[in-house]
Amino acid sequence: MTAAQRGGLAASVVLAVVGVAAVLGGLGYGVTVEGGEIGPGFLPTMAGGLVAVFAVLDAVGRLRNRRDAPSQAELITATTSRPEDGVALADPADPGAATTSTQSIHSPLDADAEEVDIFGRTQRQRNRMLAIVLGLVVATLVMVQVVGFLLAFVLLLFVIAVFVEHRRVLPSAVVAVAAGAVTYGIFVLLLRVPLPTGLLGLI
Amino acid sequence: MIDNLVLGFSTAFTPENLLWCFIGVLLGTVIGLMPGLGSTTGVAILIPLTLTLEPVTALIMLAGIYYGAQYGGTITSVLISTPGEAASVVTTLDGYQMAKNGKAGSALAISAIGSFVAAIISLALLMWLAPPLADLALNFGPVQNLAIMILGLVIVVAFAGGSLSRGLMMAAAGLLISTVGVATGFSDARFTFGSINLLSGIPFVEVMIGLFAVGEVLHQIRIGADAPIRTRFRDMVISRGELKRSAGPILRGSGIGFVLGILPGAGSTLASFMAYGIEKRVSPRKAMFGKGAIEGVAAPESANNAAANANFVPTLALGIPGGGTTAVLLGAFTVYGLQPGPRLFETQPTLIWGLLVSFFIGNVMLLVLNLPLAPVFAQMLRIPYGYLYPIILLTSFVGAYSVSNNMFSVVLVFVFGVVGWLMKELDLPMAPLVLGLVLGPLFEKALVQTSAIGQGSFLVLLQSPISVGILLFAVLLMAGPKIAARFAVRRAPRGTVAADDAVRQPERDEAGR
Repeated sequence: MTAAQRGGLAASVVLAVVGVAAVLGGLGYGVTVEGGEIGPGFLPTMAGGLVAVFAVLDAVGRLRNRRDAPSQAELITATTSRPEDGVALADPADPGAATTSTQSIHSPLDADAEEVDIFGRTQRQRNRMLAIVLGLVVATLVMVQVVGFLLAFVLLLFVIAVFVEHRRVLPSAVVAVAAGAVTYGIFVLLLRVPLPTGLLGLI
Repeated sequence: MIDNLVLGFSTAFTPENLLWCFIGVLLGTVIGLMPGLGSTTGVAILIPLTLTLEPVTALIMLAGIYYGAQYGGTITSVLISTPGEAASVVTTLDGYQMAKNGKAGSALAISAIGSFVAAIISLALLMWLAPPLADLALNFGPVQNLAIMILGLVIVVAFAGGSLSRGLMMAAAGLLISTVGVATGFSDARFTFGSINLLSGIPFVEVMIGLFAVGEVLHQIRIGADAPIRTRFRDMVISRGELKRSAGPILRGSGIGFVLGILPGAGSTLASFMAYGIEKRVSPRKAMFGKGAIEGVAAPESANNAAANANFVPTLALGIPGGGTTAVLLGAFTVYGLQPGPRLFETQPTLIWGLLVSFFIGNVMLLVLNLPLAPVFAQMLRIPYGYLYPIILLTSFVGAYSVSNNMFSVVLVFVFGVVGWLMKELDLPMAPLVLGLVLGPLFEKALVQTSAIGQGSFLVLLQSPISVGILLFAVLLMAGPKIAARFAVRRAPRGTVAADDAVRQPERDEAGR
């Protein structure tokens, strides 16, 4: 069983639990009211029940290891990589060759750990980048309470560009400040959104 | 009809609406050509910006983003073989080959022209078809409306592809999320866990921004960087011969696109694959396909634009979105306090006809913009993703905050961003979830009313001929396109096989932008 299959199975199990919990909650709200008509608990019970049933079906399907219809990503890969069409998949040596960036042409959880992108980053490194970015976003949301919304996010932009993406410091700073300024112009000045200024109360 | 058009023109031609239409199509082009940014993401991020506008102006702009993105997606397909939009995937096959042969200009020009012709044809059909359909739907009671919503959910699931149980699971999950908070008609707070913020339910815009914008960013970080752009561009000239060869494909593409686009859930990706497959079959220059045939660009580009417009037929006339982006647009209607559905044609004629006429204006703008300026837009592709995605994050969070001036929205965006990313990783379709969420409150209302009519029994669903017909229609539509796709492929032995399979998937994909 691959990581993707394990992940899918875990998701199905979690959803099944959520579904059952929703059914129990829904029953508590009252499925029917007097006169036999449906009550506030009907839709939660129905939707929760359906989630649970289909999650179990999906989990069973995954366990049986039944091959699903190929995902669009795989199909696009198949379509674009047919050699007779002279279109190759993204190749580091041939920038501009076919790649479908908006699709997951790599199935990430299954991806070969040795596979590198154009910056020579392995899947493992990219996973770490994702974890770092997630952590940074959480840190930023906490920082908003202290330094305010705009400053926290300008800082986030700068930190991601410099430390995660290894862009040069000066251009990164310019981009971050410019993005902050445009946001300030549109949201604070134009739309009059009172962005939180945090404990410092700067901007 | 003439009255309506006059009304539409007088609404759409105000300086303000023209300006926002222009902003919409311009942003749409840019969003469409950015790999990793699609029309669904674009519309979701920008809904908060439109909250201060008049609903008609806001919708004109958001719709502009939607069809503008269809033009923009082409530019990347042709120049770097990277579709900016799922609907432009098939354009890479011949478009990129044309660019390699030094014919990028012709490829971009013919797709702009084809898109424009298709837009005008499909717009006329849309204006002609939607009002009578809405009229028909106006006679529907709760029972029939319930049947229609079941139809919508079932079809979106059917087109979401992959595993059927997974699609149904996500549709039910969407319905479940929609039950959070106090429902109309009931006084009980459901699943709020004591949170005041959840009393009014889980807000739609925040979920969309999280799923589509933040989720996409997280997904992109993980799949790695794109190849950088190295494309030389020549002038936008197109020969008379090329135009002549493209006329047939454009017209056929428009027809196929419209028919498929009208089916709720079928979407423009399916349309573009079908149009390419059919063109490859009927063309006298079969051998050229895949080697830079202009027909292979003209047909799918016309088809995806026609389908984008046709998507509005069920969206406006029935309140059932035709695709992922129209589902988000439908959510925008509710954000502006408009109840989507057939009644809109009666209660909001200014809005509906102003919006429809704006499509015409927007497409003219897009043609004028794209014919000479496609190379300029292509420069946008040089922005490194390392700068772009933090900016997308900033825009997403600040936009979400501005909806209700509440940090809770920001937290919701983050939570649904992680959910959206996980769904992408695990291949769970998003369109059914979105549709379940959008339709949830209406669905519950129809359920309550139906059960009241049937005194607690839902058998009334099977007593109305119309609702039985609609439910049968759902079954037919589920089977129909698959049969059609099979038919299209059987006679195209090689080359479109993948397209055949891909048609099962377009919806999920479209919503996944």
